[in-house]
Amino acid sequence: MENIGHGGKEIVERILPKDAAIKRVNEMRAAKAKELDVRLQIATEVIDIAYGFFSPLEGFMTKADVDAVCDNMTLADGKTVWAIPIVFDMSDEDLKKSGIKQNDEVLLTYTSNPFAVFEVSDIFTLDKQDMAQKVYGTTDEKHPGVKRTYQYQDKFIGGKITLLNPPKINEPFTRFWLTPKQMRERFKEKGWEMIINHQTRNVPHTGHEWLMKGAYLGAYGSMMVDKPRGGILVNAIIGSKREGDYIDEAIILCQEAQGKHGYFRDDIFLTTCSLWDMRYAGPREAVFHACLRTNLGCTHHMFGRDHAGVGSYYDPYDAHRIFDKLPKGSLNITPIFNLDWWFCPVCDEVTYMGVCGHKDKKASFSGTMIRSIIQDGVKPPRRIFRPEVFDMIMECAEKYGFGDAFVTEDYLKRRNPVFTIEPLK
Amino acid sequence: MAEETYPINLWVNEERLEKLQAAGLAGMCKEVLAGLKVLAVPNTAEQRDKILKLFTMAKFDTATTKSIELLPKFVKDKIFDLVVARKKIDVMDEFLSKFEQTGDAFWSQQIA
Ligand SMILES: [Zn+2]
Repeated sequence: MENIGHGGKEIVERILPKDAAIKRVNEMRAAKAKELDVRLQIATEVIDIAYGFFSPLEGFMTKADVDAVCDNMTLADGKTVWAIPIVFDMSDEDLKKSGIKQNDEVLLTYTSNPFAVFEVSDIFTLDKQDMAQKVYGTTDEKHPGVKRTYQYQDKFIGGKITLLNPPKINEPFTRFWLTPKQMRERFKEKGWEMIINHQTRNVPHTGHEWLMKGAYLGAYGSMMVDKPRGGILVNAIIGSKREGDYIDEAIILCQEAQGKHGYFRDDIFLTTCSLWDMRYAGPREAVFHACLRTNLGCTHHMFGRDHAGVGSYYDPYDAHRIFDKLPKGSLNITPIFNLDWWFCPVCDEVTYMGVCGHKDKKASFSGTMIRSIIQDGVKPPRRIFRPEVFDMIMECAEKYGFGDAFVTEDYLKRRNPVFTIEPLK
Repeated sequence: MAEETYPINLWVNEERLEKLQAAGLAGMCKEVLAGLKVLAVPNTAEQRDKILKLFTMAKFDTATTKSIELLPKFVKDKIFDLVVARKKIDVMDEFLSKFEQTGDAFWSQQIA
């Protein structure tokens, strides 16, 4: 038991080897098992469950789990912290048509290829408005997480998942895709005892860079410096996009560029991606991120201003305060809370709100401002934005973004999928 | 000029700076970030509303930059060209009426 994940349990891995998977599919089809083709949203979470990104979850939540998550921010056991419902939805009509009932084993397919076995243990309904209020703190459908909740169909199915057919992760994401167990292996190879996670869905400017450097210096503490005993894991969230977001390819390749060009030493820096559709649940999403990164093997997790927030639904530091409300010992990862970094023309450097005494002269660089500069194709000064990162954005815009570094309708329609499920043979 | 100017921020690299210098407008640039220069093209509230209507992807960012953002590059390039050609920053009336007259053909036309 060395791969201990969130909740103090061994990392879940529910994957059948290929031969066994082929045999299972044949058996299920011979027995006329029900089959269901799932959409990308569900397929993404099937993969997350099967590889243990969501440990200790072994499947989609039952009603007892969802209720406990909404009411107490735990699973149904009443003690394992969990902040976001992970649900499998289906319309009443489709459910009736499929004939799926409790205790069925359903063969899930994705893009018509065999994908996973779903052991149905619960079929239920939910009060979506109540769920939205409890998880997102609002019922406003303009909130993207609430919108997703309202878009769920009316029936929910809970039960364990076993993956039959591993995803093919497509370029340029292939080398960044590591499962929780693979990540832990990689950390061991690198000799890291301390792993600081940086959560991102951004292309990095030097404000982000200094956040990471600050967290690294702070957390390294009194460990010996004879060799790197710790590192930074940039774990980019790859998932559903909104128009105006940075394109996924730019996020991951620009993050990597920081290490490639020496802004971080190669032996203290690793860029990977995880599949997750951002819910923008602010504080609750921060807790979810902590659980996810515990499963990846991280020891520390950075939480910035307005972590995983959207609009003005949350106070910028709600996502810090929520950790104070969790029972001691319920998380096995140390949060690192960050204030803002800004450019100070007096210090003449990117500096930290908690340090610089020239607040009235600060030049904040918001994401909106950086975006505005990038959109003009103007290379910012290197103290604000690393030139190699800028060049990579422009390259990605051409190569992957149909001329744009930001998500457009065109990109959503024509982009190459992040993963595919190929025929099982 | 109206008190509130609802600017469109044109970011200025060396190439743009040279053109602004030639037009005698380099002094209108403001340094905002570690030496990075920006030229704020003013809009009245009326012009702002018109822009947001004509270019539906654009937003007025009230939270941080307090400017009209998310205009496509070709739109901002055209505004810049007009600024340089007219040697002044108050060009939005002309910009808007030209676009309303010629539509998308405007983007490929030289500024006379
Ligand atoms: Zn200072």
